[in-house]
Amino acid sequence: MAKKHVKRKSAFKEISNRSGYKFFLPWLIGFLAFTAFPFIYTIYLSFNQVTLTVFGWQATWTGIANYVTALLRNPNYTPALIQFILAEIVYVPVIVTVALILAILMNGDFKFRTLFRIIYFLPVIVISGTVMTQLMDSGNVQIGNVRRVFIFQILESYSPQLADVILFLFNNFAIVLWFSGIPIVLFLNGLQKINPQLHEAAQIDGATGWQILWKITLPIIKPIILVATIFTIVQLGMFPINPVYGMIQTAIFDTVGGLGVASAYAWIYSLAVLVLLGFAFFVLKDRSKDYTAVDIKRLQEENIEKMRKRVRRDQQFKAFMRKVDFKRGKN
Amino acid sequence: MEKTKRWASRLKRNLLGYNLSDGWLYKIAVYVLLIAIAYVFLYPLFRMISMTFMSTIDIINPEIDWIPINPTGLNLVVAWTVLSMPWTLLNSMWYSGVLALAQTFISALTGYAFARYEFKFKNFWFMMVLLSFVIPIPVVLIPRWMMFITAQNITGFKLIGTIFPQLMLAIAGQGIYSAILILIFYNFFKMIPIVLDEAAKIDGASNWQVFYHIILKMSLPTIVTVFLFAFVWNYNETYVTGTFVRTAMKLMPLQLGLFDSIFERMSAPIQGAPGGQFRLNESYKMAATLITMAPMMIMYLFVQKQFVEGIEKTGITGE
Repeated sequence: MAKKHVKRKSAFKEISNRSGYKFFLPWLIGFLAFTAFPFIYTIYLSFNQVTLTVFGWQATWTGIANYVTALLRNPNYTPALIQFILAEIVYVPVIVTVALILAILMNGDFKFRTLFRIIYFLPVIVISGTVMTQLMDSGNVQIGNVRRVFIFQILESYSPQLADVILFLFNNFAIVLWFSGIPIVLFLNGLQKINPQLHEAAQIDGATGWQILWKITLPIIKPIILVATIFTIVQLGMFPINPVYGMIQTAIFDTVGGLGVASAYAWIYSLAVLVLLGFAFFVLKDRSKDYTAVDIKRLQEENIEKMRKRVRRDQQFKAFMRKVDFKRGKN
Repeated sequence: MEKTKRWASRLKRNLLGYNLSDGWLYKIAVYVLLIAIAYVFLYPLFRMISMTFMSTIDIINPEIDWIPINPTGLNLVVAWTVLSMPWTLLNSMWYSGVLALAQTFISALTGYAFARYEFKFKNFWFMMVLLSFVIPIPVVLIPRWMMFITAQNITGFKLIGTIFPQLMLAIAGQGIYSAILILIFYNFFKMIPIVLDEAAKIDGASNWQVFYHIILKMSLPTIVTVFLFAFVWNYNETYVTGTFVRTAMKLMPLQLGLFDSIFERMSAPIQGAPGGQFRLNESYKMAATLITMAPMMIMYLFVQKQFVEGIEKTGITGE
């Protein structure tokens, strides 16, 4: 008589499941109260005029008035938002690329590795909004003058806005690079996890270092590129490179426009950031499939079937031609 | 002839290597690149330090690029006074220390829950942790601010201008970069073999005992790393702090942001120092920036290993 296997959760597992919530609960409550609820409440606020009265906060429905104020009435908001988006589009690839190159160069053992790592990570420790503002204001972050470059002058005459961003990139190149501290460490961590046998196998098969980089290293750390990109997009938003944050903060304390306008600012800004993140996600999404043994067998069978079909078609065609020739010969 | 040939081939082999990547040329190129980028990284700091010691004459003098002719420490003294120094630093230290402690504790709990337990909608909540990192702060900051104002009005207990709003956020796991801290713990706890937990449980340990005696005691280096990160990030945070504290408390980076206005206000009383005139110039600002950065830089010198190796080994991303 065959033994019947009954799938049953062990009591041990069940008990530990329940107590998982104990560890998880503080965060859950905090998340619901301080992140999930505010996130949705801000949408509501952005359609209201919000004032502080003796009875607490009073919200009066005003429809899309706040959005009209943000996008059309306020002359500063839209340009600031556009400047921020352009800055993200220009800086993020630069930061991630530099971080990736540095990580690849630093992967492996060589002299002074620790020293370089300390230097590249130092900005993470010292960077703060006000420090950055002070350094940028004093002009201490400018290395060389990009205005003298001929190509830049051509670009400036075509698109002043993009030229502004690129000018800013080169004028603040050092500070922009400062954001690559964490991405470098992320990449280093990813590179160390790659199995060295893969590289050896490729080398034995005659691959050059360049080929190994493009065919093995980069595909493996592609998910980390995505993570680093998302991290950089978020991080860039938090610093004075981003003029929108300052405007929102001013709007919070502004008694005339009030929190409604601030919410509208914040929401338009968040939508922009989410679109950027979505774009990054779409571009860097992992499209390659994981092939299992079953998959490979199936693929082989498919290929064999295809080849058989081709051979069969070939034979049929030949037979057909023979027939035609035969007829022709008869005529 | 034969000798020259051999010598040439050896030279070629040394320069280019068997595989390009172990030749000298490659190594030299790598070092040049690394040093060049390191220079770019450090350039603002070098400029800042150089400017800190420049007197007014040196700043105006266009011939002086790096090394001041009349070096002076006066800028530091002035900046020290304007930042109302020892107290600002002490304030900042305990402020970020308390927040960092709270954040570390709650991140450890949450990371442990995600690493060890299966509960309903776990993947969904994990996504929410990541989402809470991605959501721009201003969106959630406005209602948070309203909540704390309301709480302040109802209870009559002063909240705005104190540490309490941020402390509550930290305890609730919604402080600055909390999601990252949770992920660091999550990745580390995943690496600890679950057999240890089970062995302790069979011996009769409760969940909390397992967490405290086994997990926490084993992950002391990670706890230090996370605490240091939380500390640095809280120290350098200006946006949320600027909203909740504003000018009620003297905190380092915030004071630096107000440096210009405080300097203007204070410049009358400091007069009488050599030179007589006290106009705001770059070297005062740079001196103040240096003072603001210095505590973190000094700390970094001593604990850089914990910082970098901590996340380089554990990783934030996970698989």
